[in-house]
Amino acid sequence: MPRRWWLGLGVVALGAVWLWGARSIASTTHFIGLGPSAMITAVGAGLVVLGLLLGWQEWHGLTVPVDDEEGAGPFSGRRFALAVAGIALPLVAMAPLGFPITAMGTFALVARAFGSRRLLLDLLIGAVLGALLWWLFSKLGVHLGKFLPLVR
Amino acid sequence: MDTLNQLIAGFGIALQPMNLLWALIGCALGTAVGVLPGIGPALTIALLMPLTAKVAPASAFIMFAGILYGAMYGGSTTSILLNTPGESGSVMTALEGNRMARSGRGAAALATAAVGSFVAGTLGTLALTFLAPAIADLAFVFGPEDYFALMVLAFCSVSAVMGKSTLRGLIALFVGLALGSIGIDAQTGQPRMTFGHPELLDGIAFTVVLVALFAIGEGLYLASRHGDAPSVINPLQGGNRMTRADWARSWKPWLRGTLLGFPIGSLPAGGTEIPTFLSYTLERRLSKHPQEFGHGAIEGVAGPEAANNAAAAGMLVPLLTLGLPSTATAAVLLAAFQNYGLQPGPMLFTTNPQLLWGLIASLYIGNVILLVLNLPLVGLWVRLLLIPRPYIYAGIVVFALVGVWGLSTSWMDLALLFGLGLLGYVARSCGFPIAPALIGLILGPQAEIQLRRALAVSQGDFTVLVSTPISIGLLACAGCALLLPALLRWRRSGGNPVYRWSR
Repeated sequence: MPRRWWLGLGVVALGAVWLWGARSIASTTHFIGLGPSAMITAVGAGLVVLGLLLGWQEWHGLTVPVDDEEGAGPFSGRRFALAVAGIALPLVAMAPLGFPITAMGTFALVARAFGSRRLLLDLLIGAVLGALLWWLFSKLGVHLGKFLPLVR
Repeated sequence: MDTLNQLIAGFGIALQPMNLLWALIGCALGTAVGVLPGIGPALTIALLMPLTAKVAPASAFIMFAGILYGAMYGGSTTSILLNTPGESGSVMTALEGNRMARSGRGAAALATAAVGSFVAGTLGTLALTFLAPAIADLAFVFGPEDYFALMVLAFCSVSAVMGKSTLRGLIALFVGLALGSIGIDAQTGQPRMTFGHPELLDGIAFTVVLVALFAIGEGLYLASRHGDAPSVINPLQGGNRMTRADWARSWKPWLRGTLLGFPIGSLPAGGTEIPTFLSYTLERRLSKHPQEFGHGAIEGVAGPEAANNAAAAGMLVPLLTLGLPSTATAAVLLAAFQNYGLQPGPMLFTTNPQLLWGLIASLYIGNVILLVLNLPLVGLWVRLLLIPRPYIYAGIVVFALVGVWGLSTSWMDLALLFGLGLLGYVARSCGFPIAPALIGLILGPQAEIQLRRALAVSQGDFTVLVSTPISIGLLACAGCALLLPALLRWRRSGGNPVYRWSR
């Protein structure tokens, strides 16, 4: 079982961000009871304490087992990277290329991460699914941006 | 009598053709997501959240209720036929149900699960109908300090019960609290933790957090550890329908399962796992055929399935009467209420009776629809599993994009989806539970409001928090929830707390 003491470090760092953020909230002394920064401070302090505890636990090997699905393989960096790329794609593609094309790319990338080998078919299914969803949700009144922003 | 009149009025709303259609859509969708791996009722409702901007509240909640109940039915189908529980509440069903299916009695197992779900769902809804108004009346005496204590209890019990370690549960809770504190402070109007991004002034949308932590985190985890072995589909064995003996052996477990499931489901952090487990153990002990357990005893399917559905009805009690979510699904429903500007709680029964009673009436109707959808159409639902896994997960991610992009077509939401998705991956691969983060996210701001309200009334005197019997009792329960598991483990390990996880 690996000792992931750095998990505790991450939690402490998150707590530190909140503690630091609480300082930049102006305290309102005329307010009775708790001001707006009290909760932020409390959450930050809580995270720091819990993070230290977690780090201590992990350092001493007191980690918990993770449930694995049946037939799970070892970690594959290539598949992980493909899936991450699929989720990162909308950040750059959604606004300029529109929903259907983004959905096509994301679908193909994630399907490939799960071991699909038929790129053209994946792209086709993704495009059809994206266009169908765009149409369905616009019928229901949910706006998903322009269908093809590039085509005016 | 008043309750009955309200309920009849509720049926008047739920039976309108449009609402019946929404109920049917919800039930079908719920069954489908219950069957499919990787997607559950909480995620489905979260993904449909953009619809709340357009669809009338009564219709939306009728559909959501159908999804909630439908997922319970669908989950049992896959655990029986394929030994792959779609929901955590169906793990126990798989034990005996899959054995029955393998020995050619799959149809009987499915039937007892469906009828048992129907019986328990209907009885649970009945209990909800008459219990909820009473509890709502009771909740009127709650002051802000009592509400704060109630939320502390929810925080502590969810952190202690979900997942394997209280510390990890608490960390998940605090991460949720931290995310929930982002945005404009409701009482002073000051921006907090927005880092100068105006998009964050409204806070982080609940849907984004839930979708990122559940769907994206799980998707990344499964993708990175996906074996190439194709999933095996076990075709439905025809086999016998329920015999007279099966009915005779099933009806008592149904009722006992309901009696276990409803009260436990209505506790904060009750969930469906504990009652189904208890029901299985109880049936095993009470059965006249204990030798059949482990080889396909029908009682072991009937009891847990009933407990599962009764717990789903019980979960709605604290949600509707106190605004207190006890599971991830309840937390999404609460977020949906908030999207409509509604706050579940005692006031809702007086301000919005049509919505509430329409929702409760639709639960009865949903159970009937589900029985009809599930008994004859089981073969059809199982076909869903013929969709190759890459397409299931790629489809879930694309749906996630719809749910998040559809909220407000904001780039910031996509960035949060990405960042929190990576966080969800870390949580998934390091054994952190997700539900406490969601409860913290949605209840944190409310707990803060109640705390500050209580302290404002008392002029900053902190003893107000333990000034009423209710608040003292609730805080004591919260303390027990946190400390008891650790104490029990400590006693079991013979007074050596350090090495309790190392083996």
